[in-house]
Amino acid sequence: MRLYEKTAAELSHMLQQRECSAVELLTEVQSRIRQAEDTVGAYITLNERSMECAKAVDAARHRGETLHPLAGIPIAVKDNISTKGLRTTCASRMLEHYVPPFDASVMQKIHAAGMVLMGKTNMDEFAMGSSTETSCLQQTRNPHHPDYVPGGSSGGSAAALACGEAILALGSDTGGSIRQPAAFCGVVGLKPTYGSVSRYGLIAYASSFDQIGPMGRSVRDAAMLLSLICGHDPMDATSARRKYPDFAAELNADVQGLRIGIPKEYFGDGVEDAVKEAAMKALGVLEARGAVLKEISLPSTTYAISTYYILASAEASSNLARYDGVKFGYRTPVYDSLAEMYEKTRSEGFGDEVKRRIMLGSYVLSAGFQDAYYQKARRVQGMIAREFDGAFRECDVIAVPTAPTPAFRIGEHRNDPVRMYSSDICTVTANIAGLPAISIPCGKTGVGLPIGLQLIGDRFDEQRLLNTAYAYEESVGGFGDYKAVGI
Amino acid sequence: MDIQHIAKLAALRIEPEKQEQFCQDMEAIVAMVSKLPDAAGVPVTDGAMMLREDVVRTEAFSRDELLQNAPCVKDGCVAVPRTVG
Repeated sequence: MRLYEKTAAELSHMLQQRECSAVELLTEVQSRIRQAEDTVGAYITLNERSMECAKAVDAARHRGETLHPLAGIPIAVKDNISTKGLRTTCASRMLEHYVPPFDASVMQKIHAAGMVLMGKTNMDEFAMGSSTETSCLQQTRNPHHPDYVPGGSSGGSAAALACGEAILALGSDTGGSIRQPAAFCGVVGLKPTYGSVSRYGLIAYASSFDQIGPMGRSVRDAAMLLSLICGHDPMDATSARRKYPDFAAELNADVQGLRIGIPKEYFGDGVEDAVKEAAMKALGVLEARGAVLKEISLPSTTYAISTYYILASAEASSNLARYDGVKFGYRTPVYDSLAEMYEKTRSEGFGDEVKRRIMLGSYVLSAGFQDAYYQKARRVQGMIAREFDGAFRECDVIAVPTAPTPAFRIGEHRNDPVRMYSSDICTVTANIAGLPAISIPCGKTGVGLPIGLQLIGDRFDEQRLLNTAYAYEESVGGFGDYKAVGI
Repeated sequence: MDIQHIAKLAALRIEPEKQEQFCQDMEAIVAMVSKLPDAAGVPVTDGAMMLREDVVRTEAFSRDELLQNAPCVKDGCVAVPRTVG
């Protein structure tokens, strides 16, 4: 097995035992990128300073310094997370040449741990999309089948992991953008409880939903990265003040007596049979280990897509007002007045999906419509959150499919925004209610496309989610079958 | 749906050849998000916000660092079109 196929936990052990060096590991991943990238297209920008970092880790280890367990592990980072001195584009013409003068708080932690930043990964423009097709810069393909999308919006991060172009990755999740691409590419992706990972330096889409989260090829890997990035940050006004466990050290596969709620609304007509069957089969595995399955009901799920798109677009219309061609980003070359400069800059700099969401946000906040849309959606958000509160009184974890279908073909939904939006139905509720949720691989379709099982937990109950996911992973002998190494 | 009005609110322009498609898409999207129940009387829950002390930080960015991303700079300042007659 090549080094790039191994998990971060395995490589961490090998690095500590001097069975390989950070430079050797980096060299293998770089050569894997050269081999696979023409087909996959996961990275927008590669970090030219990665070798410097790997050498520094090896030198520090040679000196006998105590290093973080993730020191020397290559990581891919979604291109909406600010990296000092390294272009951060949000896959938009608007920020195509933007080089942040500062690191996001999560990047400060990544660097302090000695992780090796491989590069910045492709995504839907400003994280608005579910297939990475709204990227204005390039196409990313699903490593399991290049005719299919990798999911989105963190599609580049998921694709890079699936084919060994990175060992760990960071994504961001506003309505499912970590979990759905993780499901489509056969990797593990976790959206943390809102407030547990700092948003400082994450380029904003919908601030009350956005969370950065870990992606990896095993549950333990995701747990290790989560422990590194979570924690209070005074630079984020919604950051929670609390202590977090060492998630990887506390992993425990005992699910005896664990109550798993299965909400019938997530297994309805819109969900493909292959997905339902794979999810139920996975839950059967957990039941065999002593978990108790119970059917529950979350009736307000019907309104989740409306609620999410109203609230997220309203916030986006405000957040993206900053792109006016003045202080940073694209500016139109020809204009007569300030107003014309603003309009032309924004019209040329944003792609159509971003324009649709800004306009939807402007519409639902405009005079005469605010009560009917925005205020109403805020109240329905409360209804959805309270239903989850009620559900967590009768169960410990809620299990649903991550997405109603496996990956779809490139171009299949591109001209049908309503259909694309509807595909977020299984993931948006965790964002609306601020809950943590993890997607793990739970099977494949006939053509070899992965299917994801999603586990949703109560606020700050990530450990239980990870433990449940770990129990499944252990039962099936790991997720090695989901590697896309054939490219 | 008055697409031109909404575009104006958002400081966007929709090219004439794309207007019909945008109009269709936006009408379909608005029809979709209009499916909401009567939620009168349901309380809204606000997320907890903790604002830090508003103190002056001197270790902030230098003028050069900030201007390196500006699309148009003149004499160490961001340049914009004339706004007052």
